[in-house]
Amino acid sequence: MSDLKARPAPDAAPAAPASASRPRPRIRGVGEVAALVVLVVVFAVLNPGTFLTLDNLRTVLDQAALPLVIGVGATLVILMGSIDLSVEGVMGAAGMTFVLLSANDRNGLDLGLGAFVVAVAVGLALGLLTGLIHTLLKVPSFIVTLGVWYVGLGIATLLFGQAAIPFLTSDGLTSWPSDTTLGLPHSFLLAFVVVALGALVSRFTRLGRYAFAIGADEQIAQDNGVPVGRYKLYVFALAGGCSALAGIVGSLQLGAGAANVGIGNLFLTIAAVVIGGTALGGGKGGVLRTALGVVLLTVLNNGLILSGVSPNIQSAVSGVVLIVAIAAAGWAYRGRLRIAK
Amino acid sequence: MSQTTTATPTSPAPTADGTPRRRARSGSWWQRLGPPAVFLALLLLIVVLQPNFFSGGGIRIVALQATPILLIALGQAIVIGVGSLDLSNAAMGLLAAILTASTLGSLGVVSPVLCVALVTLVGLVNGLVFAYTQVPSFALTLGTLGILQAASLVLSDATTVYVTANADVLAWMFNVALAGLPAAFWMAVVLAAVLWAVLRFTTVGQGMTAVGLNETGAIFSGLRTRWLKVTAFTISGFTAGLAGLTIIAQSGAASSFGLGSDLLLPGIAAAIVGGTAITGGVTNPINVVFGAATIALLPIGAAAVGVPPQAQSLVYGAVIIVAVALTMSRARGAVVK
Amino acid sequence: MTSTQQDPTRTTEAALVLDGIDKRFGQVHAVKDVSLTINRHEVLGLIGENGAGKSTLLKILTGIYQPDAGSIEVNGTQVRFRRPQDSVAAGIGVVHQEQSLLTNLSVAENLAMTASGSRRAGTRLGFYRWGRINADAAATLDRVGASIDPRTIVGDLSFVDRQMVEIARAVQVDEMVGGTPLVILDEPTSVLERNETEILEREIRTLKEIGSVVFVSHRLDEVLRICDRIAVMRHGELVAERRTDEVTEDELFQLMVGRAAQATQRDDRAGGASQTPVVAVQGLTRRGSFEDVSFEVRSGRTVAIVGTMGSGRESVCRALFGAETWDGGTIELEGTSLSAWSTVKAVKAGVAYVPSERRVEGMVGGLSAAANLTLSHPGSTRRGPFLDPRARNRTAATWFERLDVRPSDPSLPLGSFSGGNQQKVVMAKWLMAEELKVLVLDHPLRGLDPGAKEIVNEQIRAACRDGVAVVLLPDTLEEALEMGDDILVMRDGEVTGRFDLSTEAPTSLDLLEKMV
Repeated sequence: MSDLKARPAPDAAPAAPASASRPRPRIRGVGEVAALVVLVVVFAVLNPGTFLTLDNLRTVLDQAALPLVIGVGATLVILMGSIDLSVEGVMGAAGMTFVLLSANDRNGLDLGLGAFVVAVAVGLALGLLTGLIHTLLKVPSFIVTLGVWYVGLGIATLLFGQAAIPFLTSDGLTSWPSDTTLGLPHSFLLAFVVVALGALVSRFTRLGRYAFAIGADEQIAQDNGVPVGRYKLYVFALAGGCSALAGIVGSLQLGAGAANVGIGNLFLTIAAVVIGGTALGGGKGGVLRTALGVVLLTVLNNGLILSGVSPNIQSAVSGVVLIVAIAAAGWAYRGRLRIAK
Repeated sequence: MSQTTTATPTSPAPTADGTPRRRARSGSWWQRLGPPAVFLALLLLIVVLQPNFFSGGGIRIVALQATPILLIALGQAIVIGVGSLDLSNAAMGLLAAILTASTLGSLGVVSPVLCVALVTLVGLVNGLVFAYTQVPSFALTLGTLGILQAASLVLSDATTVYVTANADVLAWMFNVALAGLPAAFWMAVVLAAVLWAVLRFTTVGQGMTAVGLNETGAIFSGLRTRWLKVTAFTISGFTAGLAGLTIIAQSGAASSFGLGSDLLLPGIAAAIVGGTAITGGVTNPINVVFGAATIALLPIGAAAVGVPPQAQSLVYGAVIIVAVALTMSRARGAVVK
Repeated sequence: MTSTQQDPTRTTEAALVLDGIDKRFGQVHAVKDVSLTINRHEVLGLIGENGAGKSTLLKILTGIYQPDAGSIEVNGTQVRFRRPQDSVAAGIGVVHQEQSLLTNLSVAENLAMTASGSRRAGTRLGFYRWGRINADAAATLDRVGASIDPRTIVGDLSFVDRQMVEIARAVQVDEMVGGTPLVILDEPTSVLERNETEILEREIRTLKEIGSVVFVSHRLDEVLRICDRIAVMRHGELVAERRTDEVTEDELFQLMVGRAAQATQRDDRAGGASQTPVVAVQGLTRRGSFEDVSFEVRSGRTVAIVGTMGSGRESVCRALFGAETWDGGTIELEGTSLSAWSTVKAVKAGVAYVPSERRVEGMVGGLSAAANLTLSHPGSTRRGPFLDPRARNRTAATWFERLDVRPSDPSLPLGSFSGGNQQKVVMAKWLMAEELKVLVLDHPLRGLDPGAKEIVNEQIRAACRDGVAVVLLPDTLEEALEMGDDILVMRDGEVTGRFDLSTEAPTSLDLLEKMV
């Protein structure tokens, strides 16, 4: 998948030199915000009394927390033009690690904050492993992360073993995500902080800026002195850390350890990244736009379920949105010589 | 190993003028002999560690488990052969299985035909959307995967669907045995041989190989590259449908969480262990048979060396990474995303 | 680098001295014993035809190639460039032909990225200090006299502004040595409109105040306007150095071309004039590539289209083959106007295209030579949907013998053949088609050895004799004069000259004048 972008014809480069400073819409995300408003209005009309309530707002925010956190890492990876399919596996491995190291009914361990640290470290390690295989062995990221997805699930299943489901025994812990401060669920507040940090990282750090540079043109970035391999490694590790964090929060929400704690999050997140306007080819987009995409999709799913649509179709909604979003984003770039893999 | 296989996928790197690299031809030994060699090595290991493997009907069990994997992997290998990836074909198989389970009782023989046709159509649509929107196939099929999963959940009402009647329409596939192996397995092998012949002896097959090796070159040769890609995805849908039938024939039931929901990675792993180059253009369906057998043998081999069964997906994940890492061609300076 | 604080009045001090630079690539002697001095506060023009050795010389200057012999001296110090960074450290900045900016980032960020290895303090502990980065960029842009907001995204800039940013970035190298920079501009105007080049010219004059400039261009009028001195290369040699005020455009043409080649009038060029054309192009326009292009190709005749980079001739050829679209005008093939044209339809209609990017576009390297040969027009080598390997091998063997392809085994992957033999197979792939009507050749001889060149040319002539209409983009003007029956000259996307060689006998000088 080394050539997701169109190969321009040799002399297509100087195309339209006359169009000097192309005016570009400066305000981005208008479409998404408008779509969000429309959705809110439609669902409010369809479900008077249930959709526009404080309780439902909390539910939406709580549901949005996981994809928001994952979306930060996924956005940075996609900005580089790579992809991270390992989300659900890393969530499983980290979540299970966390549960088994916290107060639970399986073993006597209770590392407290240590459990959190170790679980995040598991995610970072898996991300680092992804990055190392991708950069050193030059295996395409979709294959590495596909493999790591299942490696993560395998680690979770191994940790799970054959005994009964490990439940978290501390009520304070399990209710933490849905408890509120200032009227907002903790899970969302955590996600908010992560998104804010992610936005800062992508705007103000070498890590974030280099992700943009690598996504625009890896060769030029390399020529301009960007240590491409090293920064890819960092970004994949960061993405692993985000997935791990999401796995921990997901396990807290469940109150138990489950290998498939992350199920459904991959579609949702990738769909959100793309609908937010981050191009799969890399180089364009941003963390905040992904956050907007996540909120949009979460509201859509929540509203549909409130309107009586089966929750079973949730993945179809994300799937359709994903396909429409990538098709729409790439529509203008179609061409007879364009190579899509 | 990576050194010797560099020449086969994509355009071989420029050589100094004059001396053509004969390596290009002899170097594809992995593609020809690697998959059976790996299979035999693993089989040998198991026989050494578990001497009663053959007497206990082990090989029959392997063939049984390899059949749906092989069918999924054949379609996947064809799609990888045109340089793309189909993340949705396992879900197609599962959908076909659930549909067959719920309609076999009322429709009888018509049911499996309809179900395979429907899933083939899904593959066709996949291919059309892919070819005409020019979006990355893994992203597109990830979306399709979500839709198919939802369809399976809705159709099965999130429970297990059992075949109520007419089970014998399909059950013979695993009850009838030829040379000790189930008929379904042999059918899959025949399909592999047919696909091999298609790739090798037809213009469509040659065109698909050309697209996988160098799509730009294929376009500039005037090939109908879009239709070739559509064909590949359609084949993937078709074989996935057949895989769904074998699931029903084996267990008489299907659920969106049961047998078949986990065929995606084994399918890709089997294709790659079967010598299919992830970069496209190098697909040998006959060797995919060995790839699928190896993947089916893997849990037994892993158990034989003491890996717990819970680690199965870990092993699959590791195998796929290792297989690609070992066999991938790495052009110097090439950008890998 | 001792000479950092130079008195600006000492303008004759040498910034760069090349002595006896020599470089070979196999049998090709790319640069022959070139000695050249570039002074401080001087703009030196470097001109020469394609393949004269300019690019190789520049690559030696920028550390991409190492010379086989000779020495380089910068500011009085002997240097040896082992890698591009060495030349940057010596204060040599380059503006390459190809775009080397990251278009999704701001101007300031692009400038900062190159300087990140230097002592600039745009980042601290991995954190960007945007204020500092933007201020530094503004200062650099100011130095080169460009009025661009450093926060603008590069992709939103016009091409001339991007070129400014590239120049600004090249100028930054002086901060490495704290001295005067030497900036190499490699065909900076080839992607620019005429009015944009004026802005660039002002830029270069500003640059001259702070350092020296090497200006490489095809456009002699520009070179004469901008440069103080002009060095002319031909066949790898430095054939002349002239002060701008003592040389004319005509003299430069002479120096570039050497003994001017002239078309010989041949009898066989007269025929076929009365027939209706096979291809008739009328007012063909593709925005940004070419405009109002009209020409006809008759059966058995060759139209050679000459032009420099950016002339748009490649685009015209690709449009003929359906690989590019057009916005206006028509192409008629045997009297039928083409619509919804595509490569598939073109091949079916008997249009063939031999691309210059042979490995990427012309062939499928992983397939056997025989398969490549029969890929587009399987003809008798297929039976219905099936391939007939035996018929294919017979056909391949015939063509291999006819074109003397080596090695003679068509079952080897085409990618493993040498360039010349690959090109023979690519030619044969189209020539074997019975329905071949139009043969479009984009630099068919590029990179071939003399023997292969002769065989390819002979095949082109043979195709002409069989009544095929040929459109040729030659590498050199001599090739155009030798192979063409009609010559079309293009510049900046427009046709600037036409010569019918059955009635006229233009020289390469005549062609060059219309090209640049």
